[in-house]
Amino acid sequence: MNDDDKHDAAAATPEVVRRRDWLPSLIWLIPIVAALVGITLVAKILWNRGPEIVLSFNTAEGLEAGKTAVKYKDVQIGTVHEIRLARDRSHVRVSVQLDKDAAEGFTARDARYWVVRPRLDTSGISGLGTLLSGAYIGADAGTAEEKTDEFTGLEAPPIVTRDLSGRQYTLRAKDVGSLDIGSPVYFRRIKVGQIASYELDGDGRGVTLRVFVNAPYDKFVGVNTRFWHASGLDVQLGASGVTLRTQSLATILLGGVAFAAPEDANGPAAPENATFALADDETAAMKEPDGPSQTLLMYFNQSVRGLSPGAPVDFRGVVIGEVKSIGVQFDRDERQFLMPVLATVYPDRLRRASVVQGVAPSESKYTQEERLRFLIGRGLRAQLRTGNLLTGQAYVALDFFPKEKPVKVDTAQNPIELPTVQNSLDEIQSQVQEIASKINKIPFEEISADLRRTMKSLDRTLTTAEATVARINNDVTPELAAAMKDARRTIDSAGRTLAEDSPLQQDLRQTLQELTRAAGSIRVLTDYLERHPESLLRGKPQDDKKP
Amino acid sequence: MVCEGCDAVFRRPALGRREVARCPRCGTELARHHGLQQQRILPLAVASLILFAIANLFPIVEIELRGLHSQTTLVGAVVVLSGEGMSLVAMLVLATTLLFPLAQLLILCWVLVPLARGRRARGFAWMLALLQSLRPWGMVEVFLLGVLVATIKLSGMATVIAGAALWAFVALTVLLTVVVSFDPRGLWDLAFPADEEAAA
Amino acid sequence: MSTTARARRMAALAAHAATPHLPVRAGEGEPATAAQQGLIECHRCSAVWQDAPEGAACGRCGARLHRRKRQSIALTWALLVAAAIMYLPANLLPVMITRSLFGTQQDTILSGVIFFWVSGSYGLAALIFTASFLVPLFKLSALFVLVAMAQRHSPWRRRERARLYQLLEIIGRWSMLDVFVVALLSGLVRMQGLAEITAGVGIAAFGAVVVLTMLASLSFDPRLTWDTDTHAMQDDKTTT
Repeated sequence: MNDDDKHDAAAATPEVVRRRDWLPSLIWLIPIVAALVGITLVAKILWNRGPEIVLSFNTAEGLEAGKTAVKYKDVQIGTVHEIRLARDRSHVRVSVQLDKDAAEGFTARDARYWVVRPRLDTSGISGLGTLLSGAYIGADAGTAEEKTDEFTGLEAPPIVTRDLSGRQYTLRAKDVGSLDIGSPVYFRRIKVGQIASYELDGDGRGVTLRVFVNAPYDKFVGVNTRFWHASGLDVQLGASGVTLRTQSLATILLGGVAFAAPEDANGPAAPENATFALADDETAAMKEPDGPSQTLLMYFNQSVRGLSPGAPVDFRGVVIGEVKSIGVQFDRDERQFLMPVLATVYPDRLRRASVVQGVAPSESKYTQEERLRFLIGRGLRAQLRTGNLLTGQAYVALDFFPKEKPVKVDTAQNPIELPTVQNSLDEIQSQVQEIASKINKIPFEEISADLRRTMKSLDRTLTTAEATVARINNDVTPELAAAMKDARRTIDSAGRTLAEDSPLQQDLRQTLQELTRAAGSIRVLTDYLERHPESLLRGKPQDDKKP
Repeated sequence: MVCEGCDAVFRRPALGRREVARCPRCGTELARHHGLQQQRILPLAVASLILFAIANLFPIVEIELRGLHSQTTLVGAVVVLSGEGMSLVAMLVLATTLLFPLAQLLILCWVLVPLARGRRARGFAWMLALLQSLRPWGMVEVFLLGVLVATIKLSGMATVIAGAALWAFVALTVLLTVVVSFDPRGLWDLAFPADEEAAA
Repeated sequence: MSTTARARRMAALAAHAATPHLPVRAGEGEPATAAQQGLIECHRCSAVWQDAPEGAACGRCGARLHRRKRQSIALTWALLVAAAIMYLPANLLPVMITRSLFGTQQDTILSGVIFFWVSGSYGLAALIFTASFLVPLFKLSALFVLVAMAQRHSPWRRRERARLYQLLEIIGRWSMLDVFVVALLSGLVRMQGLAEITAGVGIAAFGAVVVLTMLASLSFDPRLTWDTDTHAMQDDKTTT
């Protein structure tokens, strides 16, 4: 076969030889091409390989070596390469091969990784797609400079990922209430953020919550903004009736936080991580701050029924504080029971209420105590009054009672004791009670018995008198007539005697005149004796001595 | 030479390029012209080996159904099959698509390289015997057709993306057809040229 | 190779050299067979040996020289019967189990064909039907014919039978198609929950059918078809 060909070649033209030479080398092109293709493919894969990182998780549930993807914003940035149990069997080490272009943010120290599985939590059901596709690993890029290749995976997806724009703030509250991670934050009833995390304060006296407000709503959080619990229902029974307030159905179930600024005056935008207090409800939040408080002690010498802690302390209609506690005390000196009532009063509320037409109250040069003493001197007293006739609730009213006798106030003792006054209504009550008891005391039965007896005797007397009168008419009347004629004759003669020009009268007149002259001279004498008491002894000096 | 189909005896003819001798009685092919085959076969065999590597290291096809991806290599599919308990079938598939063709290629290289230099490789007879017995069992082209059928079946329900290995398999099929179709009897004659001269 | 053997070989070639289309003996219009001539061709290296005893080692390659494939008829029958037995479960048992959100579906080879036909892929349906149903059937029946006739040394349509054998050899491997399809599908569609394909027991039986028929066709010696004259029959009796 070879011989034949060679034979042909020798006989034929040299071109055949050349053709034969080409073909083998052309043929070799094929494996060369194949090799190149193979190398390119392998090189492409190696080139696209990024760094390899190790994540620690509690469990490898749903993760599959070689298959599970690492996704950021739903774009695959890496694949799980190998899953191994840690040496101490406390966790699972998942080796992940990242893509080259993912190396940038995902190896930073603060990058975060978590497993996305179907989850049911306060913000709802999430990750349902993974029921079909199998779990995947979610990632959040970091911005730190330092790089690392070992990460501790989070067990739950973080609320706030770096790509979310917005601001975090800190809230201080007494308790968490019905809030949880993921509970919504509302502004004007629109959900604008959520609670990112919460933890108990170190001293156990409160709870610190971290809240995340999405952009662009974070610009509505200013330094004046107030936050409050918007959880559940806010029912108030007041003078205007029943008020029911709620932010949304979600808050009834999940709880939530709302914020707003009083009169929408936000003030300058609050910086990141600014701290706010979390009030219990909207009214509490919107209240002006009370300023310094003063504790007052009041002794009531009457029943404090209807008064409860939290009852308002009111000054002529303005609520300036509330009752803190009520007690019972036995005063040994006076041997009576007193009801001490402690109340907290915020004088600033008064001051605020006294701002009229924008005129700000000027700083007083008197201290609190001095002012109080002055007011008590003017008659400021505490009095219990009934606030609500329906429920019988009472409140403490401060008012001026100028008629009260002054009381010495010891402003040094703490709490300051405010003198009290009996309730006017109570006085009337006691008076009426007295009257009632007096009336009670009147022995109406005896009086009626007496009266009956008197009536009976009167009746007898009248019948006797009647009889007498009848006799008189019959017997006595003519004699009386004769007696009256005689009497008239006597009176006439007496009259003639006593007439003006009667001699009796003239005599009498003369006598009187003489008496008068005598009295007058005696008078002169006595006057002289008064002036010259020595004349009794020495006699009258001669008148001839002329001064 | 003797016809393998009907045992008739014939004189070995001189064959020109692309000429094939057939038995007149039963039509079985008796001999074919070797031509430049031995020069062609070695580079093609090498190319086939490279393509083989690509075809098995990369995924054949990738399917995507509602965001879920799945892909497999040949070995991966075999592993899955054996995992389901079908170990025998898995072995059969692996053998006919991986082991036997690979063995054929390797033997060819083993034999042809020294032959190109005019020497006979060690264990030549044994190797060629193995090569001959493996010939009916290399089924790469059937596998390729199976891949096509499966792809068409899947394209109805999911998006199918061809992987690198698929193209490698296509090229491999083409090359293998050329490589394996040569006549091993020619190799014998090449290896023992003394007999040829004597025959001529 | 010993000089005597070589000499024998060369002599054979020289003495009985004939061009392919010119038979040595023009007696029956048939070319002489190697068996008649006392020649054995090595099945491995195709070297022709003169008067070599049955079972001797080939000088060139060391393979055992046999006039016909050993126990061809018996082996072929055995393999054929086994393949036929396996053919039933291969078609009755499910070859593919599809688990999806809509439930589990079991497919046999035929139901897969029907599915393709019904969903409009007529070509695919025809292809699968041919490769997975017709071809094995054809192989079984063809082999049956070949072996039965060869056993009875029937001279009926020998040429056609020879062609049949050649056809068998070519298409034999293509019935592996379904096995590969199932293997690939079960390796690919493994999405938990959404869709999952697993191979059924039927495919193992089907694979067995393919392998067995291939082995059967390999073990059948096509030269037996041509051993119809008495001389050959005698030889056959010794070899079978």
